[in-house]
Amino acid sequence: MQRTTLNYLAGYKVLAVCALLCVLPGLVAAADLQVPATVQAGQGFSISAEGSGQATFYLIGPDHVVKRTVNLGGDLQVQSSDVHAAGRYQIILCGSPCTSTSFEVKAAQPAHLSFFLHPSRVPVSTHDSIDATAFVFDQYFNLDLAAAAVDFRVTPASGAGFSRQVPARHGVSTIRMDSTQHEGPVHVTAALGKVEEARVVQQVAAEACGLRMKAFPGANNTIIVETDPVRDCSGNALPDGTVVSFTQVDKAGKSTVDTPIKKGIARAQLSVRGSAQITVACGVVLGNELALSGRL
Amino acid sequence: MKIATKLNVALRPACLAIAAFALALGPLALGLPALGQESTQSQSLPQVHLNADGLAPRPIEELTGTTIARYYALAWHEMAGALESGRTSALSDEFIGVAKERLTRRVNEQRQTGIHVRIVDHGHNLKAVFYSTDGAAMQLFDQAQLEIQTFDGDKLLDTQTVPHQYMILMTPGADRWYIRDLEEVEVSAKSF
Repeated sequence: MQRTTLNYLAGYKVLAVCALLCVLPGLVAAADLQVPATVQAGQGFSISAEGSGQATFYLIGPDHVVKRTVNLGGDLQVQSSDVHAAGRYQIILCGSPCTSTSFEVKAAQPAHLSFFLHPSRVPVSTHDSIDATAFVFDQYFNLDLAAAAVDFRVTPASGAGFSRQVPARHGVSTIRMDSTQHEGPVHVTAALGKVEEARVVQQVAAEACGLRMKAFPGANNTIIVETDPVRDCSGNALPDGTVVSFTQVDKAGKSTVDTPIKKGIARAQLSVRGSAQITVACGVVLGNELALSGRL
Repeated sequence: MKIATKLNVALRPACLAIAAFALALGPLALGLPALGQESTQSQSLPQVHLNADGLAPRPIEELTGTTIARYYALAWHEMAGALESGRTSALSDEFIGVAKERLTRRVNEQRQTGIHVRIVDHGHNLKAVFYSTDGAAMQLFDQAQLEIQTFDGDKLLDTQTVPHQYMILMTPGADRWYIRDLEEVEVSAKSF
């Protein structure tokens, strides 16, 4: 009798093992979810999901969530539109029980350059005065962290241009450049493969250089003081509107007349009685000095 | 007189309760933060530690660093709230541009599919790696200690406790720093 009971128990054990073996393929299928470690943005792919029956498939990405019922035992398609955003995606397959895995979507080929050129106006011949920064994005506006190098091409209005290739670091390429010698627009183009983005920086004359004035009689006991054409050290004319200061020191004290440059020169009318000293300045630059002794 | 005094004594606790209630709810009615609300919020913000050593080409000012850490913490607080509640209204202005579009879309799709995500935030180590000379953009990497639980309805589907690394682009606004791009990237020690 005891032996019969033991036989029955052994039989149940065999049945239990058989039942477990029947269930296991489903579990193994869930555990064997095979996905690529990395995927390029916008490229669909398939996942092998072994087993049988139905399961719920979840795809959770940075900007997209998919939930659908799938049949196990075949390939599960992940559409290209499901993986536009770069980042980590989670896949969960819920039969019984749930199993999950993740993969990374990396940026596709560079398609956009977000290009910043600073400042918009810069004096000529100034060291490290122009900053150019390019962010490399793919067509889905994912930052391309693996971008190689950006070519910065500089084309001044006059004179020879130049280009520099700057390696990108974490999708960002930046360069600091000197302004060239001549005033006028300078075109700076950031290029990576077929992608180009252009900006313009306006180069303006630097500080005045060799500032000189002369004086001649005006009407009613006045004198006219007038500068030579005001230029910087590279020969670029300072823009009209730049303020030039004429300072007169005489017995009455000190008086200053600020006047803007018009058509390249600055001019002022001063009332002088007796001897006087007149100086001229533009910004931080001092020009020549005139000593008047009551008459010219 | 005695009756009035007794009434006063009897009503005093009720008056105090009403006054306290008014103090607490009054500001809400006016659209102002209620007493203690700000401190509660700051207590629930995740810990953010910013490292800006060797930042180039422009060094960071101390106030800028403090502001960035604060708004980054606020952004994570809001993002976690939106992903758990399924409400895009939980997102204010901490995200902008592509980052906001992506997050809004995800929250909407989560709600439509019945999924919600709970983020248990154990803190962020931010490393600033690029700050443009004109101060218009900053790139950072974040090593975040997160526990991410994914639910379908009430059913817990998955829990992730692995470290996460994010690349962030931030730009300054009038009174704050905005997250313009937030991408989870492969965890590597290179950025730190």
